[in-house]
Amino acid sequence: MEDLELIQQMAEKNSAALDAFYERYKRMAFALVYRIVGNREDAEDVLVDVFWQAWQQAGRYDQSRGKPLAWLLTIARSRAIDSVRSQTSRRTEDLENQPETPAPATADPFVQADTRDAVLDALRTLPDQQRLPLEMAYYQGMSHTEIAAALNQPLGTVKDRIRNGMVHLRKRLKPYL
Amino acid sequence: MNHLQLTDELQEQASLYAAGAMTDGERREYARHLEEDNCAVCRREAEEFQAAAGLLALGLDPLMPSPSVKERLMAPLANRSSAQATKPRRWVIWLAAIEAVAASVLLFVAFSDNAELRRSAQALRTQVQQLEARLAEQQVQVASLTSADVQITNLAGQGATPAAKARLFWDQPRRHWSVYVNNLPPAPANRSYQLWFVPKAGNPVSAGVFNTEANGSAVVETDVPAGLDLMAAAVTTEPLGGVPQPTGPFALLGALN
Repeated sequence: MEDLELIQQMAEKNSAALDAFYERYKRMAFALVYRIVGNREDAEDVLVDVFWQAWQQAGRYDQSRGKPLAWLLTIARSRAIDSVRSQTSRRTEDLENQPETPAPATADPFVQADTRDAVLDALRTLPDQQRLPLEMAYYQGMSHTEIAAALNQPLGTVKDRIRNGMVHLRKRLKPYL
Repeated sequence: MNHLQLTDELQEQASLYAAGAMTDGERREYARHLEEDNCAVCRREAEEFQAAAGLLALGLDPLMPSPSVKERLMAPLANRSSAQATKPRRWVIWLAAIEAVAASVLLFVAFSDNAELRRSAQALRTQVQQLEARLAEQQVQVASLTSADVQITNLAGQGATPAAKARLFWDQPRRHWSVYVNNLPPAPANRSYQLWFVPKAGNPVSAGVFNTEANGSAVVETDVPAGLDLMAAAVTTEPLGGVPQPTGPFALLGALN
């Protein structure tokens, strides 16, 4: 069944559709949430909330704004960032730290291989000076002013690099949006 | 204000918004611009960037959550599904009961003016009213739990009860909490569990005393007092019957967004 059909059935409160949607994308959503939250227990709490929100908001899904997976991952990122911000102590791990649990080596069978390859290629060809501020914003919820302070770079430079990075990603990923 | 054409500055704003790099104030204002001004130029740019940003996570290695996540996700739905599947059945049973009782009332009144039968009829009318009240209460509960206005918060086990879990449904328009507790062993002898509203300022306020069933489950329904700016929900173990202020250890705790 296509993603769009699953979303439509979720909007009609068919719990089997949520079950299938969860099974399809739990690995990618969990990878993103875990990357942001930084520990398995909190990440699993957030993951429940992510799919619950998808279930509740399926009726409002607008396919003109992106594919269902991008929609889900946007929810996942937002809930994970909210979770981190609600913690009394912000996580301080280095950006380069790897997750405490090793990631499985197998590819996700439900994510189109060509889409994932395109994302990996887009990230690989993204200059580090653009990738770093983008990752700080995307995975840590840091604003441009916080990033500029953390990297000790002028605010205008940080904004430029984020813009150029996003333009690069959009160009590379356009066929998959 | 609607923009007529894309400029570098507008593109920069759209990219910062999609990357999540705006400050809170900027993000609110930009979202307002997209929604209220309905600026087609900015909207198209932001949506394209957001779609691209939404795929960034595909660059991460997939990671498998534990099976308990799905159980927790689907449990309320299973209850809901069974509620939807069985609740109508319950309603049908109740409606049938109401109809049967009502028919009995009519029969009694029609065929006898015996005082004893009139008393029976009155008792049956009361029973009908009680059934109708329970039916209405459950319909309100189902509507409440499925409302988009309901905020859901998980409470995690603390201290001696790390495996305990609870899910709090906060119906903000109705100022009502429904708390579903699981895996919390019944309180020791002469002790009770006490639920607390924890405000951002001031002392916790009791939200009620309860105990769990032998299987560790409980449901607590309580109204949220007006004027409380809440930051958390907590359950502590207290002397039987509860106390004005928490004194015992935490059993469950969850931060409210």
